[in-house]
Amino acid sequence: MSFLQALLLALFGWMGSIYSPVLIGGLGGWYTIGRPLVSGLIIGAILGDVKTGIIMGAAIQMLYIGLVTPGGTMPADVNFAAWIGIPLAMVAGAGKEYALALAVPLSSLGVLAVYGLCAINLFFVHKQDALVEAGRFDAAARIPIVGQITNFVLRFFPILLINYFGADLITQLVGAMPVQVTDILQIFANMLPLVGFMLLMRMICKRDVDLILFCVGFVFVSVMNLGMVAIVILALGIAYLDYRGTSSTPVSSERAGE
Amino acid sequence: MAEDIKEQPESSEMGGAKKLSKAAIRRAYKDWMFYNLSVQNFERMQGPAIIKMMSDVREDLYPGNTEAQQEMLERHEVFFNTEPYLGCIVPGIVLGMEAGKAEGNDEISSEFINSIKTALMGPFAGIGDSLLPGTLIPILLSIALGMSPNGEVTGPLFYIVAFLAIMIPLTWFLFSYGVKAGANAAEMVLAGGIKDKVTRAAEVIGLVVVGAVSAQYAHFNIGLVYTSGDLSINIATILNSIFPSLPVLLMAFLTYWLMVKKNWSAGKTMLLMLVIAIVGYFTTILAV
Repeated sequence: MSFLQALLLALFGWMGSIYSPVLIGGLGGWYTIGRPLVSGLIIGAILGDVKTGIIMGAAIQMLYIGLVTPGGTMPADVNFAAWIGIPLAMVAGAGKEYALALAVPLSSLGVLAVYGLCAINLFFVHKQDALVEAGRFDAAARIPIVGQITNFVLRFFPILLINYFGADLITQLVGAMPVQVTDILQIFANMLPLVGFMLLMRMICKRDVDLILFCVGFVFVSVMNLGMVAIVILALGIAYLDYRGTSSTPVSSERAGE
Repeated sequence: MAEDIKEQPESSEMGGAKKLSKAAIRRAYKDWMFYNLSVQNFERMQGPAIIKMMSDVREDLYPGNTEAQQEMLERHEVFFNTEPYLGCIVPGIVLGMEAGKAEGNDEISSEFINSIKTALMGPFAGIGDSLLPGTLIPILLSIALGMSPNGEVTGPLFYIVAFLAIMIPLTWFLFSYGVKAGANAAEMVLAGGIKDKVTRAAEVIGLVVVGAVSAQYAHFNIGLVYTSGDLSINIATILNSIFPSLPVLLMAFLTYWLMVKKNWSAGKTMLLMLVIAIVGYFTTILAV
């Protein structure tokens, strides 16, 4: 990996981190280029292989698809997982199972960075109070801009340094792996999407009966081989029937009586 | 419903900004959207972003009155935390109440502003988290994943366009509505039954899409071959003739049972899967 590539990864990785303000806050940042699927597109473009980038991004995306970060508590951090895990697996020429294997420990490192940041930034909170007290209101308003330095340092430099210096190490490591380990990792990685999807099901599947909808979607692909646009249209139709079935308007009860 | 919304700001004594310029509202909106989490911290969380927002409109609220400006900014030196994007209606309401107070509405006291602000941030954090990262984002991402099974760019591009096309107008609507309606704005979102209906529809779509993407991406290959003399039976072929990807569906049910019913953590479930992969590989029950 060239230094310029590592630099670009670090720059975009910082912009896609949870506390970065530059791309309309989290709208364009954490929730857009910070989603591993989109990160994969950008990483692929930087490293010159968009297709592989997206395939790896998709794999990491599924694992963390049900991730919610309520009130600043971070169960896992997808930032390092995506912006370090995907590039390192890509330059090592490894499969997506290695991106996933790197993602899990990197995500813990990211959580550490979040808690470190929340402690360091207390300095800026008290600085802002002092500036308001002193009547320097414009300076107080600049605190969220100046204070971004903590997040920049904690995201930009780890991504830059680990990518730049870690590439050779990971390449050697992957090359030295016996074929059994790679096979087992692949079997394991092929099951992992289910973990992410069931985290999501905890939120959207309120009753066990609703599992039938999951099965319907499953059949659309496994038996009928439908494309995603067709599936979404069918899903909209089912949602409409569900809405008509649960709302007690006279029209629907008449129809039901027929 | 729509008519109620329009009437509320006029009819109410708790109403929000009446004279605040659109430019000032837009400036405050941008401040909030960009900087809400910029100096995240343990003590005040999003508090510093509220101070930035209020400081940048202080001349619009109290032109030339430094003392009143300072009093207003000091009022916001407190803890603030909500879901920043769907919850952006709360900072909007805060600005609306502050503008109402600055415009001479005696009903709005300093305590009133802070108690409304504190009362609303929790509910909107809950609603925002369950609707945005809990529902809308994963559903759009699942659709995007379904469009890119072989690394096609259509999936991520679809997600970028769809997400921003929904969220930028929606957040601007919520924020500016909060500014104009003041403390009344919360009623619309919290009381109306619209939220439940939209949530249910999103859940139904989500369940179908997640089922589809699971079938697309998860694999669980049985490698077992039963051999007896010349006869060799491939178990995977038999299972597939009953129902395609049956092992994946059964694995999905097991994961559902463990994680949703038994409340296993993701880490524990992953550990079990690793054990299954290792045992399955060496017993040749599972294949790559």
